[in-house]
Amino acid sequence: MHRSIKIRQFILMLALLLIITRYSLIAKVFFLFFLYIQLLFTSPELALAQISFQFIDFAVSIILLAAAIIYFLMAGKKVKYFQSNLNFTSAVIILLISFFLFAPLITDNNPDFQKDLSVTKLLPPFSSVKVLHLNNDNYSTGNTVDKFINLKSRVIKNSFDDSIIFIDSISAGNKLTYYQGGAEVLLANDKVIFKNNTPLITTRTFILGTDELGRDIFTRLIYGARISLFVGLGSVLISLLLGLFLGFFAGYSEGFIDTALNRLTDMFLAFPVIFFIILIIALFGNSLPSVIMVLGFSGWMSLFKIVRSEVISLKNKDFFVSARLIGLSNIKLLLKETLPYILVPVVVNLVFQYGNVILAEAALSYLGLGTGSSYPSWGSMIEAGQNYLSQAWWMILFPGLALFLTLFAANSLGRKISSHFNPRVNS
Amino acid sequence: MEYFNAVGIGQLNNISMRKEIFKTFAKRGWTSLLVLFLLMTFLFLLLRISPGDPSLKYISPKLSPRLTELVKKSFSLEGSMPAQYKTFILNLAKGDFGISYTYRIPVIRVIERALPFTIMFSLLSFFIQIVSGFLLSMFAVKKINGTADKIISKTSLPVYAVPSFAAGVFLIYIFSEKLNIFPSSGLTSFDTESYSFIQKLIDYAQHLVLPVITLSFNGVAVFYKYLHDNLEDVYNKPFVENLRANGFTEKEILRKHIIPNAVNPLISVAGVELGLLFGGALITEVIFSLPGMGRLTVDAILSRDYPLVIGCTFVAGILVILTNLCADIIKAMLDKRIAKGILN
Repeated sequence: MHRSIKIRQFILMLALLLIITRYSLIAKVFFLFFLYIQLLFTSPELALAQISFQFIDFAVSIILLAAAIIYFLMAGKKVKYFQSNLNFTSAVIILLISFFLFAPLITDNNPDFQKDLSVTKLLPPFSSVKVLHLNNDNYSTGNTVDKFINLKSRVIKNSFDDSIIFIDSISAGNKLTYYQGGAEVLLANDKVIFKNNTPLITTRTFILGTDELGRDIFTRLIYGARISLFVGLGSVLISLLLGLFLGFFAGYSEGFIDTALNRLTDMFLAFPVIFFIILIIALFGNSLPSVIMVLGFSGWMSLFKIVRSEVISLKNKDFFVSARLIGLSNIKLLLKETLPYILVPVVVNLVFQYGNVILAEAALSYLGLGTGSSYPSWGSMIEAGQNYLSQAWWMILFPGLALFLTLFAANSLGRKISSHFNPRVNS
Repeated sequence: MEYFNAVGIGQLNNISMRKEIFKTFAKRGWTSLLVLFLLMTFLFLLLRISPGDPSLKYISPKLSPRLTELVKKSFSLEGSMPAQYKTFILNLAKGDFGISYTYRIPVIRVIERALPFTIMFSLLSFFIQIVSGFLLSMFAVKKINGTADKIISKTSLPVYAVPSFAAGVFLIYIFSEKLNIFPSSGLTSFDTESYSFIQKLIDYAQHLVLPVITLSFNGVAVFYKYLHDNLEDVYNKPFVENLRANGFTEKEILRKHIIPNAVNPLISVAGVELGLLFGGALITEVIFSLPGMGRLTVDAILSRDYPLVIGCTFVAGILVILTNLCADIIKAMLDKRIAKGILN
């Protein structure tokens, strides 16, 4: 008998995997919070000054992780969806969501971390690099503040790290000599951490290799998922609001505005919008908010069409007329009478739109017009990889694969929703 | 084309109907022109309110304010915005797009060099998409839910989701870097002067293989899925059963009744697809550094070559309007009942 995994079991397995592989980090994060709460009572103003985006990021992801585990252990059984069998689409979607939420816990690297280029650049997948640990003079007085700051620097990774050196090989002697891509460097013995009279050397493995600046591709992929999902959600939300309101008022009023908007959307639907997106972003500068805005403003037309045609047919239905005669306001007519009626086509459209937006964002990044270099994005990773095509295939394959899986999941999710609610059409 | 007769390509001798069709065409024509005019106005406003001054790329006002004025004048960037707009529209009506800032020749000349390639490239890809989509769906639908049908249908879904630019770059890696079969970029090799005509043709073809694959494979999946679903729908209609009961052969039913009914809705999809193909060609042209409209537009936008941007958008708008019009005309020719509805 074939027995497949349930969605709830899959989620719990992922959580277990995360805890097993990252137990030390998670323990450190918990201890960090403990210290932080202590700090809040002893010196509140210092505690408030320590808050940064990354700190909140860690806080939110660890709280969500705990909440998710508790929820799926206790209550997850009751929800029918989580009891259904796992399929490819839902697995990809769950993975993406967990990348989005738990990015700092899944990788313990900063996406921009780079060091010792001559050793780490363009490494193939699964290659290991020796790490020499330097003796940093981190004083520890046992004071809560110092403890907190020390721990924080070990938990929240920067894009630089002065306490380690990536090396090819080492030869010990009176003075330590290490080799980096042909160059040899002398180092005083007391600067290095020794263990059993030999310098402490660990290895770091880059699962998916490194890019041209020695940055870990796996970490960048995980954080790139964040950008993709964030851009997708933001612009789909803008499209939803625009399409819903404009579609409702165009269909409801059916006057000059309706005709004008309809003509305009016809044109925009047929015109390759990517020209306009490129134009606007090139002229007004590219940044995360501008990309989200432009993609959102260029994607509402198909939704407008759906909402408008549904509203026109809805307008003469008895329940709608009576709701209007009672004296409901336009907003209430939209939210309470129209929206439940048109929910399914709208949701299906949004899911497909979401795939389009992610693809457009990647294409923009590929053209160098994406969210900027401050955030890793799948498209910009592919663009960077194109210059190193003959040396590093992994720079293109993995972001391309991630993009493909995301698009595929979005497409099949949209199809599934639509065939679930209209079984006759797509049987 | 003979199976289109089954739908009834009636004679166009009804005069009142002709009049009606002419009227709707005229209406369609002027609304299209109006939309194009609005598009150009929107573009003009966008270019003028955007930060940055293209003349600064060529001369700094610190060097010579007088020369800067001259450059601005030659770029027609001087004067108030309404005055600029007026000259812009008047020039547009005359068909004069101005002189490209970067190339220093009339915009029409620049576009003339790039447009034939893009049209040829898009049409070639479009043709491949339609034909292979059609053939594949015909092959699959011969036995619905057979092995071939299942395999092709299952693979068509992931193929549709492959991002074309990532696939393009990866195709370059496999076929140009590793196997060294096809060239990775450009349209011609270096030393084509001495080639004979046939050799030149082969050279072109070799350069176009990878770009055409990159541009086409998503579309093949789209057309396949669409046609396949339509064919399946029609197969399950009662009239097919009726025909079968009357002793028509399967081949005849397929050729005379199922295909015409399934192909009809495809044409409007095809029109939209062709319009969108010009946008898809943009990325492909950038990947393979092909000398087409897409790359020209992107370069023009990035270098703030305002006249060229406007010229390219205008041409793209015209192309889109024409393709949609063509699709609707073909559709109306096939089915008279919808002639009036869609032409509006």
